[in-house]
Amino acid sequence: MKRNGTTRASRGSGVTELDDRVRVALYERFVEEGEAPSADDVASLLSVRVEDVTGAFRRLEEAHVIVLVPGTSDIWMANPLSAVPTAFAVETSRGTFWGNCIWDGLGTVAMLGGNGTVTTHCPDCEEPTTLRVDGGRLIDADGVAHFAVPARRWWDDIGFT
Amino acid sequence: MLAFRSEAHVDRWCEQTGLARGAAFSLETMWRLADAWYRDRLSTDWRRRTPDEAQALFTEVGLTGDFWRLT
Repeated sequence: MKRNGTTRASRGSGVTELDDRVRVALYERFVEEGEAPSADDVASLLSVRVEDVTGAFRRLEEAHVIVLVPGTSDIWMANPLSAVPTAFAVETSRGTFWGNCIWDGLGTVAMLGGNGTVTTHCPDCEEPTTLRVDGGRLIDADGVAHFAVPARRWWDDIGFT
Repeated sequence: MLAFRSEAHVDRWCEQTGLARGAAFSLETMWRLADAWYRDRLSTDWRRRTPDEAQALFTEVGLTGDFWRLT
């Protein structure tokens, strides 16, 4: 049963019903506008106090749903989306975005319906490459993904990961 | 989490940067993981996967071994 202010184990540690509403609103606005909303924006959308939204942002960060710019209440990552330009440019019919990494670049295409491209470059030779996803299928993609950090340490320093 | 032209490019980049080589795998596998991981992210009833659920997904797309162990 959902009750305002209570937690539900399946949401993750400490995440409340308000946090769910904040999460949905911030993602919807991020996709609509192509940039991350501020806490003020989300508070206006939900007709709640900005302090409640900043609290929700912190709990969502603790639950590894979003990442805030250190020392602020500004969104840095609402995975898979990045609020700042990266080496992973995503184009879809719903707009252009930045992914946080190759996983999130392709994840942005998946999240937005499974059609689009991710343009990046090989970190070794700087050769640009565009990965195309059509109808939920990756088309003719040569190359490899490389993860430097083992899975259990991804959140030790998510910016580096 | 980067994309390279080939494993040889990963090796050269690791040598040049001094970073340890991690896990390299096909972009097709990367897509399968990204699709499964993020497809439902905009759903109102989305919830974060438990470690066990995430581990099962890694296994499902073929990412196994100590590097992929979450706990």
